[in-house]
Amino acid sequence: MEEALTKEEVLHVADLARISLTEEEISKYQVELKKLLNDVEKINEVKGYDDDILIACWNNNAELRKDEEGTMLDPKEVVNNAPRHSGNYIEVPVVISEGEGA
Amino acid sequence: MYLNKSIKEINELLKNKTIKPIDLVEEAFQNIENNKELNAYITLNKEEAIAKAKELENKEVDNLLFGLPIAVKDNIVTKGLRTTCASHILDNFIPIYNATVVEKINEKNMIIIGKTNMDEFAMGSSSRTSYFGAPKNPWNKEKISGGSSGGSATTIAARDLPFALGSDTGGSIRQPASYTGIVGMKPTYGRISRYGLVAFASSLDQIGPMTTNVYNNALLLNALVGKDEKDLTSVRKEEEDFTRLIGEDIKGMKIAVPNYFMSDIVSQSITDKVKEIIEVLKSNGAIVDYIDVPYLENAVTLYQIIAMGEASSNLARFDGIRYGYSYENPDNIEDVYLKTRANGFGEEVKRRIMVGSYLLSGENAKVYYNKALSIRDDMRKALKKVFEDYDFIIGPTTTTTAYNLTDPMDDPLKSFMDDVLVIPVNMAGLPGLNLPIGFDSNKMPIGMQIIANSFEEAKIYKLASYLEKELNLSLNPNGGEDNE
Amino acid sequence: MSNYIPTIGVEVHVELKTKTKIFSNSINGYGEMANSLTNVIDLGYPGTLPTLNEEVINLGIKAAAILNCKIRRVMHFDRKNYFYPDISKNYQITQNDTPIGYDGYVEITKSTGEKKKVYIEEMHIEEDTCKSAHRGTKTLLDFNRAGVPLIEIVTKPCMSDGEDVKLYLEKLRELLSFGDISDCKIEEGSMRADVNVSIRKNESDPLGTKAEIKNIGSISNAKLGVEKEIERQTKIYEAGETFKPQTRRFDDKLNDTVLMRVKETGNDYRYFPEPDIPYVILTDEMIEDAVNSIPMLPDERRERYIALGVSEINTNKIVANRSLSDYFNTLLDEKINHQVASNLLLGDISGYLNKNEKTIYDTTLSKERFIELVNLVSDNTLTSKNLKDILDIVLESDKSIQTIMSEQGIENITDDSEIRNIVKGIINNNPESVNDYKAGHDRAIKYLMGQVMKETKGKANPKMAMDILVEELN
Repeated sequence: MEEALTKEEVLHVADLARISLTEEEISKYQVELKKLLNDVEKINEVKGYDDDILIACWNNNAELRKDEEGTMLDPKEVVNNAPRHSGNYIEVPVVISEGEGA
Repeated sequence: MYLNKSIKEINELLKNKTIKPIDLVEEAFQNIENNKELNAYITLNKEEAIAKAKELENKEVDNLLFGLPIAVKDNIVTKGLRTTCASHILDNFIPIYNATVVEKINEKNMIIIGKTNMDEFAMGSSSRTSYFGAPKNPWNKEKISGGSSGGSATTIAARDLPFALGSDTGGSIRQPASYTGIVGMKPTYGRISRYGLVAFASSLDQIGPMTTNVYNNALLLNALVGKDEKDLTSVRKEEEDFTRLIGEDIKGMKIAVPNYFMSDIVSQSITDKVKEIIEVLKSNGAIVDYIDVPYLENAVTLYQIIAMGEASSNLARFDGIRYGYSYENPDNIEDVYLKTRANGFGEEVKRRIMVGSYLLSGENAKVYYNKALSIRDDMRKALKKVFEDYDFIIGPTTTTTAYNLTDPMDDPLKSFMDDVLVIPVNMAGLPGLNLPIGFDSNKMPIGMQIIANSFEEAKIYKLASYLEKELNLSLNPNGGEDNE
Repeated sequence: MSNYIPTIGVEVHVELKTKTKIFSNSINGYGEMANSLTNVIDLGYPGTLPTLNEEVINLGIKAAAILNCKIRRVMHFDRKNYFYPDISKNYQITQNDTPIGYDGYVEITKSTGEKKKVYIEEMHIEEDTCKSAHRGTKTLLDFNRAGVPLIEIVTKPCMSDGEDVKLYLEKLRELLSFGDISDCKIEEGSMRADVNVSIRKNESDPLGTKAEIKNIGSISNAKLGVEKEIERQTKIYEAGETFKPQTRRFDDKLNDTVLMRVKETGNDYRYFPEPDIPYVILTDEMIEDAVNSIPMLPDERRERYIALGVSEINTNKIVANRSLSDYFNTLLDEKINHQVASNLLLGDISGYLNKNEKTIYDTTLSKERFIELVNLVSDNTLTSKNLKDILDIVLESDKSIQTIMSEQGIENITDDSEIRNIVKGIINNNPESVNDYKAGHDRAIKYLMGQVMKETKGKANPKMAMDILVEELN
């Protein structure tokens, strides 16, 4: 097995995790992450299991909530904890592109 | 000095007004002050605790936990009381709501003394990944207290106070309990609401009680359990008293010891000690068999994939936008993310969320995460099958006793291997408890794990208390005697 | 310019009409003060967990049934992971593996009369994002919309022109609003469409490069956007050029699509099953209850109205007005003249409702009183002129229509001999008109009739008067 990830591979996972890295960190993680990933490969040695997936250690049916309103926060409380805010809004540096989600 | 008395005694003293809650609170803070160098706490709740104790003077002493001090692991949110997860990214974070367990201990009128030290976001096995420095083992200050609930284990072992809450994702209650010689229970997944527990790995996390003895542990568990409408993964069960089987005989009970738990991955002093216990059990009428359980040796791999994968998603919300630390001078939005998280998270956390992101990226989710879920299900079934024939599974809690604080931290696999014996319980959602069973030649505590079928915590307490009484160990590192 | 074959698929997000959000119990509302409809769950606070609103599942089942989808019995949610300020947890809870509905269709009727099925690939439940407003160097975040329940409906790439898209969106809006699933207000963002357009030379060619059009503010813009995009792509190919997959938005001012960004290869959303929400298992009973509570849908309404003799124009007008149509539905089994009933509702009554900004349910016109009214008008006991005079009272009091008529002095001479006497007098006094009538001038009878009504001060039952007049003239 390889001993280290390439620099590009480290930068890719750092980008997915949104963590900026120094050059020094990059070379450190090239080795450390690879060590973990090599260990994780052991999963391919496991044989004989069945393919069913269970999301977690329960198989209970989700208990649904009644559509009834509860208490909400005061907008002041919402913005007080935010590092940047303006009036009742939470603020971030301008976002150019549109969201990928909904 | 009242806190070293039994809970029933303290309760009597409170009832007949010989003492007041404030006496207990002051004693706890004095103990913590005396043990300051153990670094068990991140934040103390002194003013609030004293105010609450005074307020309780006018209230009826209506339950056994009334007025008693408790420490809360710092990944459980407390309204108005700083909750950091031992991370720089939350080191200024004041929650605006209470975790359900906090509401529950408030209902019992327990008094929160402070927030305990831990591995950053519960990621680690020695509490050394804490932004606030590692707690020290009361048995030997050169040694780790284990982790991630190292601060809770430390304050209990040091006899600062009788009760603490921990959380256990892959052994984080039981392993430090073993290293510090206390009783720690990870209940069945779903027993206790996770609402307000800052998520590490959602499908594994569970809150649990950490105490000096078995009875106290069961008593605290009574207060914590129950279906919570705010947590869909919590389970509805009939109310029960977890102390109810304490004192019963263990004759005829069937106990399984997986061979893997006694293999050469465990140091000899520990397997020897467990073998002694097995003899004690046998001589008291229990039936003990060594068995093979499939998949146990895969547990760490499954854990790595599931825990790091889920963590990479759970910790995405720490982005410097709505709360917590934020990079001071961002040029743009990407800067907010990249530098807030680079500065805010420590090394272990970064490592795990990067690996977790990789494990879920592209086709990897199918290759790793979904596969791990499949195998986990099979492993759960294999363990459940054992309980068709046995009441308990037992084995050592850890492979070694507590090691030195100065041991190297550069091996990313080490922290996982420390938990090799405790992780299978999380994988199967089962309840598991650490019971101190003795000491190694360096007078460091050795722990044994008692595992039962889902929702059979009461049965675990029965066996644990039986052994506790039988062994009658001196478990106070300060040398004093503990009452029951 | 040579012809290309367009292939078009549409993704529609609609916000569900629930009281509260999908994963928390804060209010699902629009137009309130910024960040006033939120709680710690919507904001993704550490330690919070989702709960699941039962009404969302209920509406999901209904929507799936309305769109002729198969309904999944065991489902879970998934996390879609991406960093963006509008999603508080930096993952969206959605259904990637197990959408609640799949393999459905809706039917549209093209202007040529041709009927066409638009196939639905899948429809899933997910949470909406927060709203962001860009102000100079800052973006302001309002989390009121964060966690509002959505369903996303994804068609197969089966449409071929702007008209298809327009008809599909109109049909979808009609179905989902009549099904009480969503308000479907495009201008308020409770219905949002993204359209994928590609073109190719021949059926046998692989699909062409795709452009996605977002930010479409109206259904007519969707049609226009598709047409412009087909034009644009055609020009590119005709010039022998190519383009990269891209996202474009419809610009209201330019009336055209403009480039937003070229798509990066492979967005990596790192989907995995949401561990905080157990499996949702739909029972037969849940599905039955939901399906049985779906209100009558527009096509069925139209069919039934036509069958009752209501004109096509009136039918379409009533169905276009939900509350009138619901009101009309209560009369379907009554033995009345439904065409007259529809005329009344669409005529004077609608005039009154519009003027007073009311719905029919805000008036005193109970079903029973409306039936009385329809019958009085049907047999001409109440003329339209007289109805106009008493309409306000009819719609604002509880009295029977007959009582109102007599209180307002609206008599109706229905006595045969009385009318006959008057008719005879008129015939005697107007010999010229009688001659004109006999010579075949139609206008003469109208004049004579007018004289009868004048003589009776409009009180003669017009139908009776006409019958008698014709009789006497012959």
